[in-house]
Amino acid sequence: MGERWRAAVPSILSVALALVVCWIAIALTRDTEVASNAYLQMLYGGIGQWPRYLDGGDLAVIVRPLGEAASKAALLILTGLSVAVAFKAGLFNIGAQGQMVVGALAAAVVGAQLSAHALLHLPLALLAAAVAGALWALIAAALKLWRGVHEVISTIMLNWVAVTLVDNWLVVGPLRPTVTGGHSVSGTAEIFPTAHLPRLLGDISRMNLGFPMALAVAAFVWAWLIRTRRGFETRAAGLGPEAARAAGIPVKQRMAEAMGLAGALAGLAGAVLVLGTEFRYPGVLGAPYGFDGIAISLIGNNNPLGVTITALFFGALRAGGTRMQLLGVHKSFPELIQGLALLFVAGRLVWLALLRRRRTQPASAEVPRA
Amino acid sequence: MTRTLRLSTVALVALLGACKKEEPPTPTAPAQQPQAEAKPAEPPAPKALKIGLVIDVGGRGDHSFNDAALRGLETWAAGKRYEGGKYAPASAEEVKQSITQDLANLQPPITALNVEPLVIQSKSPEDYEPNLDLLVEQGSDLTIGNGFLLESAVEATAKKQPKAKFLLVDSLILDAENKPYSLPNVRTVTFKENEGSFLVGALAGLVSKTGKVGFVGGMEVPIIKRFEAGYRAGVKTTNAKAAPGLVAVYTGSFDNVAAGKQVAQDLLKKGVDVIFQAAGADGLGVIQAVKEARAAGKQVWVIGVDSDQSHVAPEVVLTSMLKHVDLAIYHACRDLTEGKFAAGDVVLGLKEGGVGYAEVRLDFPGKAEALQKVEALRQRINSGELKVPGTMDEFAAFQATP
Repeated sequence: MGERWRAAVPSILSVALALVVCWIAIALTRDTEVASNAYLQMLYGGIGQWPRYLDGGDLAVIVRPLGEAASKAALLILTGLSVAVAFKAGLFNIGAQGQMVVGALAAAVVGAQLSAHALLHLPLALLAAAVAGALWALIAAALKLWRGVHEVISTIMLNWVAVTLVDNWLVVGPLRPTVTGGHSVSGTAEIFPTAHLPRLLGDISRMNLGFPMALAVAAFVWAWLIRTRRGFETRAAGLGPEAARAAGIPVKQRMAEAMGLAGALAGLAGAVLVLGTEFRYPGVLGAPYGFDGIAISLIGNNNPLGVTITALFFGALRAGGTRMQLLGVHKSFPELIQGLALLFVAGRLVWLALLRRRRTQPASAEVPRA
Repeated sequence: MTRTLRLSTVALVALLGACKKEEPPTPTAPAQQPQAEAKPAEPPAPKALKIGLVIDVGGRGDHSFNDAALRGLETWAAGKRYEGGKYAPASAEEVKQSITQDLANLQPPITALNVEPLVIQSKSPEDYEPNLDLLVEQGSDLTIGNGFLLESAVEATAKKQPKAKFLLVDSLILDAENKPYSLPNVRTVTFKENEGSFLVGALAGLVSKTGKVGFVGGMEVPIIKRFEAGYRAGVKTTNAKAAPGLVAVYTGSFDNVAAGKQVAQDLLKKGVDVIFQAAGADGLGVIQAVKEARAAGKQVWVIGVDSDQSHVAPEVVLTSMLKHVDLAIYHACRDLTEGKFAAGDVVLGLKEGGVGYAEVRLDFPGKAEALQKVEALRQRINSGELKVPGTMDEFAAFQATP
């Protein structure tokens, strides 16, 4: 109990510190009232405008923000898990963005080019996205395991290959929808309604099946890592490949599996974006959720539960952050908070050292958990 | 163990302290909320209409399409100046300066209206719809989606909010098969960019020394193709020799300054001396590249787009193809305040003042004659004698008649 909490303390402190620093930044550039109101607006946008609702407002003022936060959180959970799973196997997957891009494209293609019954169409589109993402990640895994190319390098480069291939060629070239009469559209053809992720709250909110799905996936990943033999072997391979090999664990295979799973998760994130809210591969794929996944994973301590909580928090923060603009606060503050939190988490060793120094006992039992 | 417990407690206290700092908003906020709502009621004048505007991922400060929209709403309609996240009243001089010469004699003139702007910038495409929702929820009387990228979002929001009014700039409402249709609460405005591009193309043909002119587009979509077709036709009309070799390149984005710069540098290396860019923020990179080439001693020019971009690099921006998104938005605001706002599809061309070109401030040999020729072409377009091609197919069939 205490152990698990202590692992979370640096992250919580980092996020809190980031919030304080950004509050001060707004207060310095504007004034304290604007800063406080901006945070309040962010809260409204993230978890709903409760005062207005309790004053007899429309249900939409709480359901819509919650739906937005959930949609963002779903994406962050999936990309965060993608990075976390690879991390557990000792691999640093910086390629979640690229895997998400190819996944999103696969979902858009299956959603628009194939017509099938809804019971079949949606799973097919999701599956296509997961497979595409996994294959993209496996390129990096193969390079690593057979040729010794470091996965940080290969996944970064594959990101750009994916973006260039998809955004700059496929979407504007072969996959461009047919348009009559010179109208401009961006992105690929619209997907069929049978491939939409169903909306859970009807028209008033964009909350869709993607969110419960992401939570279920997080539970699955947790169970796989903690409760299965393969998960254990994967973690062992990540902690000490040599020791794992000596213990008879097929290290290469486990690493490849983890990387494939990481790619599939990122691919699913792309699918949730396309099938949940965009209904086509847009001209440029949304915010860089794949890169955000790195931050989410690290702040979440590379742990499925931590990732989920972090993603929920930042999903709400990002969805709500837009409302800060109502007060004239710059649009990038939510990202700034996330970035600062990451920076402070990166200093977790400093946190831990500070915590340890206060301790007079021999700290042998207190090896920080990676 | 007790020590770690104590440490956790210390951390918790620190955390609570940190949280507390943000708590003061709660008491002040309810006070703030009614205040904001009470403000418009304060003067005896009728309540200011709220005009919401969602701009695309290009953002504020693109010196182009989005800034044109902001000018129409903030500077012209509301008479405000945006500075450090706040609005201050704009001086008459500022407003006058923001009006390009082709609109200087507009009747009725541009005067401030009783409107309050509410602007949201979008960070990613999936934010368009919630941003529009947010503005409607904040009580905006007219909600503007700026750019064809917001087409689906405006469509979806307008269907959800049948009582709210919308203005979609630069696109018609398109259904799933990309066929245009109309919604009872949406006005759309589109422009004949080809006509304005034709005029700057004609000017480019007259200015070019090397006989090589270029075009840089953003995303390769029909709307930008329309710029290219008009531009090519203009070049062909005044400089038949330069037309076949005209190089058109697309960067594939509207928010990548570096890509624009790179593409322009390639063009300049090939000996192109006039570049017309229609590439949003990428275009700023094009201007940058041309500016650097000029600093290196080359005699090169660039033509801006959407807004008058002369101030970005006064020494190299020959002119700018103006697309009066500002005027379209201003008109919508005025119609709204006069109670005349109606849905429908509005098309603005050269004749309507929807497109044009900015004042040519730079000198080049034969400037007076060149401008005379361009103005003569404007007359021929206005009279309907000259039909400017709007697609590449139409351009293929276009016969230049100088």
